[in-house]
Amino acid sequence: MSTTVVLGEARSGRLVEASGEAVGVARRLGATRVVGVLLAAADDPSIASFARAGLDHLYTAVVDPAFAPSPSVPAQLAAQIAAKESADLVIVGGTVLGRDVAGRVAVRWNAAAVTGVTDVDRPGPGSLHVVRPVFGGRATQELLVDAPRVVLALRPHAFTVPSPAAAAAPQEAIAPSESPTEAGAGRIVAFTPSAGRSGPELGEASIVVSGGRGVRAPENFHLVEELAESLDAAVGASRAVTDAGWRPGTYQVGQTGKSVSPQLYIAVGISGAIQHLVGMVSSRVIVAINTDAQAPIFKVADYGIVGDLFQILPALTQEIRRARGRTD
Amino acid sequence: MEIAVLVKPVPEAETRLRVAASGTTMDPDGIKWVLAGYDESAVEQALLLKESIPGSRVRVLSFGPAPRTEEVLRASIALGCDRATWIEQPADARTDPIGTARAIAAVLTAAPPDLVLAGKHAGDDEAGLVGPALGELLGVPSFGGVTDLRWDAARSRFTFLHAVEGGTESVEAMLHLVVGLQQAWNDPRTAKLPNILKSRKAPIEKIAWATVAPHVGDGTGAPVPAKFRLPTPRTGAKMIEYKTPDEAAVALVRLLKEEAKVFP
Repeated sequence: MSTTVVLGEARSGRLVEASGEAVGVARRLGATRVVGVLLAAADDPSIASFARAGLDHLYTAVVDPAFAPSPSVPAQLAAQIAAKESADLVIVGGTVLGRDVAGRVAVRWNAAAVTGVTDVDRPGPGSLHVVRPVFGGRATQELLVDAPRVVLALRPHAFTVPSPAAAAAPQEAIAPSESPTEAGAGRIVAFTPSAGRSGPELGEASIVVSGGRGVRAPENFHLVEELAESLDAAVGASRAVTDAGWRPGTYQVGQTGKSVSPQLYIAVGISGAIQHLVGMVSSRVIVAINTDAQAPIFKVADYGIVGDLFQILPALTQEIRRARGRTD
Repeated sequence: MEIAVLVKPVPEAETRLRVAASGTTMDPDGIKWVLAGYDESAVEQALLLKESIPGSRVRVLSFGPAPRTEEVLRASIALGCDRATWIEQPADARTDPIGTARAIAAVLTAAPPDLVLAGKHAGDDEAGLVGPALGELLGVPSFGGVTDLRWDAARSRFTFLHAVEGGTESVEAMLHLVVGLQQAWNDPRTAKLPNILKSRKAPIEKIAWATVAPHVGDGTGAPVPAKFRLPTPRTGAKMIEYKTPDEAAVALVRLLKEEAKVFP
């Protein structure tokens, strides 16, 4: 009997995708029992989603929302359930909360911990082989974990979400063994939804579409944004674009901006200066669209289209929407 | 206010990574070690708080091997930290980030600081485990990826922003807190030359491995490096031939779906 505990996460009434990814990993590793833990209000729709995510049992707990998202509270609960269930593995999704929680669970539950996991398998009973990118994706580290209790925090989008189960797992309401306090948990006083488009964060996205000088003017940037939207991708930019003020500095990918290593990176109208390449070269698959066939970006890209982005982008956005069954 | 800052030496960003002969780790030969980028933000934040709260002191701590750990501690002193503590890690000591947190907790428990600052993770192993594990060991809240950290003296509360998926939480916390800071949001200062020279002679408190080792354990169960890989160099793009933009779009989508398998 090997039991895995998956700590779920609810945001604005929805179960985050990372929680489904974590259940998929638990199943893939051959757990005989997969148990979910979720902090959510009793009528929160995320509970029903998590119950159908492929769990054998779901524990739910209601905590004052001022404390609930504070890392110490879900960490305490996850460790409590892991001990109760005599589990050997706790998996958390690759969200901010997941990463904030992993180290705390490891201490509480006296376990080994690995974060940023992009692949994992069992080379033998009681042993885990874990793969994780390091150095901003410029290298990959493989680890062997031979410990009776292990906490894994996954990298966002590295794993697929299994299709929903036909039947919902039985639910059980539990009380945390310790009541959260402001001294122990801090207090969340407000939540401000991100302004503008609701796409993924640049640093976390599995797909990034970036625009460069080739976009020519800020009013043309919507072409890049529409392509990104068709792929549920984050939008990035080269330094030329952020320096010119076409987009805020937070969009910048590169040495002086963000380093990204998504599954797919599409560079639009970006020539490929070294300062940009450093920030994206570790992406798994790179597509470059540029008018200049000699642009250095084509040297690091996997697929290239030499052409005018003002013609290619609308056609590509339309084709992607069609291929994904979206007519909007 | 007593502020502790955790720092870590990491290879300079432009360093060309190589695989060690063992095949399991990075080759440390010829690496230039610097203060981790996120840690620079943590030091800056500590100094800003110190400047705004009378009577504050900043203690910088690092757990690691000679000589690079001592160097980043001196760099932190040059920036304005008051006191440096080096927890020595022998080259053969088997530890992981949880062990690092236990070593630091063993030192801090004697006189718990009001605030512990760190980078949200270091740019080398990117584990991000030390801060949360330390929070748990000290029994205080911990938050990573924090910006806009301030001290509200009238209400005796820290206030800060915590960026999560889909939005930003505004958080308040009392004294005794661990915070992992987002990189470069506070424009870290650079050290002035006279301070760099002075820092070379500054005293550094050394804590021997033997002192913390009983708290860290012997490394049983800690993850063991099995392999360190560098990406295979790319050989140039496959160029898509087309007559019309629609043809190019169809060809690219097909390649992303069938060959690269990255189409969502």
